[in-house]
Amino acid sequence: MQVHLFGVRHHGPGSSRHVLDALRATRPDIILIEGPPEGESMLSWAQHPDMKAPVALLAYVADNPRQAVFYPFTHFSPEWNAIQYGLSEKLPVRFIDMPLTHKLARTAAEQQGPVASAQAGPEVAVRRNPIAWLADLAGFDDAEEWWEHQFELAKQPIEVFEAIALAMGGLREAFPGSDEEERIREAFMRKALRLAQTEKYERIAVICGAWHVPALTDLSDRKGDEALIRSLPKTKVECTWIPWTHERLSSESGYGAGVDSPGWYQHVWDHPEDDGTLWLSLSAHVFRKHRIDISSAHIIEALRLSHALAALRGLSRASLKEYNEATRTVMCMGDEILMQVIRKELIVGHRFGELPEGTPQVPLQRDFEKLCKSLRLKVSPEAKALTLDLRDNHDLQKSMLLHRLGVIEVAWGHIMHARSKGTFKEEWLIRWQPEMTIALLEKAAWGNSVEAAANRYLAHQAASCKTLAEISSLIQQALPAELPEGMQAAMQKMDVLSASTFDTQLLMDAFLPLVQISRYGNVRNTDTATVRLVLESVLYRMLSNLPGSCANIDEEQAAELAEKIRKVHQGITLLETESYRADWLQALQRITDMKQAAAHIHGTCCKIRYDLKELSEEVTADEFSKALSVSQDPHYSAHWLEGFLKDGATLLLFDDVIWGMVHGWINSLPEEVFLQIIPLLRRTFAPYTQGEKRKIAARVHQVPVSKEKTQQAGAFNPERAEKVLPILEKLMFHPIKQP
Amino acid sequence: MSAPLLRQSAEHQFALEIAELKKQDSHNKPQNWLLSPHAVLTYLMGGKLANGFEVSPKYIGNKRLMEIAIATLTTDRALLLYGLPGTAKSWVSEHLAAAISGDSNLIVQGTAGTSEESVRYGWNYALLLSKGPVPEAIVETPVMRAMKAGKVVRIEELTRMGSDVQDTLITILSEKMLPVPELNTQIQAVRGFNIIATANNRDKGVNELSSALKRRFNTVILPVPDTLEEEAEIVRQRVSSFSKSIDLPVEKPILEEIYKVVTLFRELRSGVSADGKTKLKSPSGTLSTAEAISVMNSGLSLAYHFGDGQIKAEDIASGVIGAVIKDPVQDKIVFQEYMETVLKQRSGWKDIYRACRDII
Repeated sequence: MQVHLFGVRHHGPGSSRHVLDALRATRPDIILIEGPPEGESMLSWAQHPDMKAPVALLAYVADNPRQAVFYPFTHFSPEWNAIQYGLSEKLPVRFIDMPLTHKLARTAAEQQGPVASAQAGPEVAVRRNPIAWLADLAGFDDAEEWWEHQFELAKQPIEVFEAIALAMGGLREAFPGSDEEERIREAFMRKALRLAQTEKYERIAVICGAWHVPALTDLSDRKGDEALIRSLPKTKVECTWIPWTHERLSSESGYGAGVDSPGWYQHVWDHPEDDGTLWLSLSAHVFRKHRIDISSAHIIEALRLSHALAALRGLSRASLKEYNEATRTVMCMGDEILMQVIRKELIVGHRFGELPEGTPQVPLQRDFEKLCKSLRLKVSPEAKALTLDLRDNHDLQKSMLLHRLGVIEVAWGHIMHARSKGTFKEEWLIRWQPEMTIALLEKAAWGNSVEAAANRYLAHQAASCKTLAEISSLIQQALPAELPEGMQAAMQKMDVLSASTFDTQLLMDAFLPLVQISRYGNVRNTDTATVRLVLESVLYRMLSNLPGSCANIDEEQAAELAEKIRKVHQGITLLETESYRADWLQALQRITDMKQAAAHIHGTCCKIRYDLKELSEEVTADEFSKALSVSQDPHYSAHWLEGFLKDGATLLLFDDVIWGMVHGWINSLPEEVFLQIIPLLRRTFAPYTQGEKRKIAARVHQVPVSKEKTQQAGAFNPERAEKVLPILEKLMFHPIKQP
Repeated sequence: MSAPLLRQSAEHQFALEIAELKKQDSHNKPQNWLLSPHAVLTYLMGGKLANGFEVSPKYIGNKRLMEIAIATLTTDRALLLYGLPGTAKSWVSEHLAAAISGDSNLIVQGTAGTSEESVRYGWNYALLLSKGPVPEAIVETPVMRAMKAGKVVRIEELTRMGSDVQDTLITILSEKMLPVPELNTQIQAVRGFNIIATANNRDKGVNELSSALKRRFNTVILPVPDTLEEEAEIVRQRVSSFSKSIDLPVEKPILEEIYKVVTLFRELRSGVSADGKTKLKSPSGTLSTAEAISVMNSGLSLAYHFGDGQIKAEDIASGVIGAVIKDPVQDKIVFQEYMETVLKQRSGWKDIYRACRDII
């Protein structure tokens, strides 16, 4: 019986190649891989022809998907290749790491308990990246580079793994002491090894992280291991495949440190014989795509330089570092900035994985994918802009899906400001991130379809709202998602919350989105009956409170409230319901009749009523003179004027009565008072547009001129004027009365 | 016995090191190179030879950059050293030329007035008139001599030259030959010939290299030193070599003063204090390492000739202020702000603060 331990570097293409060579040479009858045993059932999918790496095995706690681990695999991962080899040779393939059932239960317990103090010092660093330590000893400042030069080139796969085992053994001796989890994990691995031995497998191949190799050589301490793994906490864990991206590979994930240059590794994997020609040509291609002129001569020179560099450094072949340096020196004028393009496009790369249809998924996920397919939305990590015309049913469905995902906190799409003003257009930017799969899984408990989950989740969220402001913003957000049941619950909650609110302003805030909702019904065919009901109750609560809250408030609050009154007025106008309008106007009348109403609000209400011809010119004139009379505090007058004339430049320009009153009042102010209230007046007039201001100034200027003219009128000669009259009469067929 | 030189060229100053390196050199030498690329790298970066001989480092900084520079020269491509003023561009080019060709004196200084004749060849007009266009009437330029001898020629401040003059280099770089149409002949470059040009970041856009020429250069950007320690080491080394060359006895270890000057320069250059807490304005000058070196040198000679031989804050202050305040109005405000917000508070810096106050 033989046991072959293959210590690898996760995602190392060199490791991959050696593992494959070693597997072919040793012809094992079982393959054990460092990985979660829960994932074993998913392994058969790895051979599906539609399965395209990079993919990740996602394991999550069933009732708390936020607690999840990814095991990413790509074409050049040793584990992936071992799996593929095992499946194609019809060998049993097992995952032998600590079961996630225990591991995730442990992390959950840790999160609740006190956080262990962060370890520091070289031991931790070594364990995290043992290869970096060795590379450092060898005088390389980059672990990947060292690994590549040490193991990419070795031609004897089995000897390489012996060397790795020796090196790691040395390291582990130099840095003894390991954390508990590591001991438990290795105990599980040993247990699996023993099991395979008792099952009489003859040639056992183990593929695990290089660091674990020394721990798996000695299997004698069965009792100690049993003690370690006894009575571990448990939790229910589910597994599934999800597509992964190269970009993600370059960051840290389930298999510890990520690889810095997945794109490069992929290249090395695909083209092991490339001496840089292909790589540099690809670089040139990328540059050209970004409109940076790169000639073939550049490629030739870069290649020569990279080889010269490798020779100077005593390396037998150039690697990424040399190519990068050559590219920068020859193609980028020494500039680092342009290299970013190469890094993004080539060194990391844009590759992303795909899953075959029918991969085991939770129902919600399946529903989501079905929807995407029927709506022809591609789940892709590339950002894509989407313009939807809501009048088109297909687009409307898309919009609904995106909004519903928004409700269940899967932020796939971000809504952007549509350029056109209409409500029928939406612009989205969609970009799928792998962790959104987790967010989706997390909501799996809420329902088996996106719609059902969104409805229930919305109801749940509505129930947990505590203030009117919260619920109204929630409703505004969820409205376009068209979730009648969820919305019903939200409306009821809103009703309850508005009943317990005495703050008129909050009610007004809640009212405005409701107006939008009932109007949206037109575009989206929403059933708005419930909305109307709530809207009505909010409106009447607001109306009854409004007059009372207009008194005894300071100027700032008054200005704020007046602004809201203007908005609510607009909303009510939009609703086009006669009874609302009448009741609203009545409330406004109550405010104008109140003596103690704040000046700004009083002015605003007068203006609204005047606009609607509710207030006749005479009454308005009376209100004006009351507000602007000499006995009145000039500050009151100024605030009142602000309320009345805010956004009312046209009124001032074309309404002679109001013009006359304002003009007269300002003229009557003593200079010191005028200087005092100038800031207040400015507040009124400053928002007017330049054109309006110019016209007002012109009008102010006109008044004395017209006076002069009337004075001159007395100077004309009546006798001469009379002579024209007969002709005028003839022209107009109408007798002119002589004055 | 020749008269004592003010400054010896690199190949003389470090003749011993070059000779030792040559003796120990076991790697392959490109044709007409004095040393192998490995030995050139050791010469630049310093190190211990097999026989225990210590080679002093000439360039303190990223080894990889020097590797790229040397590798470039082995591939027959011309090298363009690019960077801020005072980032050791000329220094590196001089030492590269010295180590590769054993001659760092083949040099063309680029200025706005550099003409084509000083790049390609000129004529001895007396001879030209008397004998007509004959080979003897040609006045050779450093470029031509380097081509004939297979050596490295240096072109300083390439971008200061007019574009038309720059472009005369294209044929030389791509065809490796210099046509002399008057004689209906051409000079073919001998192996080992190459060009090291330097250019200045700050001059970007003055006479931008044509893309044809750009393509023929490999560019290495020399950065300002990464760390305070690195920069202080550069200054220390250059200052002690200066005191040797003009026989200044350095009484006291001056490392502390060097640290101060370098810190001050780095802070003003980066616009933030060393502890990262105070935001500072940057003056208009570059405040390069080279300037820090010259401040220390002038401080040393001040101390030697006018003081008691020990370098003091006053000796440095005038140099610092001279280097920082290039614009009498703007930079003065910048420096005063810096003095009051940073220098004043720092313990152990009182002397330099006071010395600066006295001058400003």
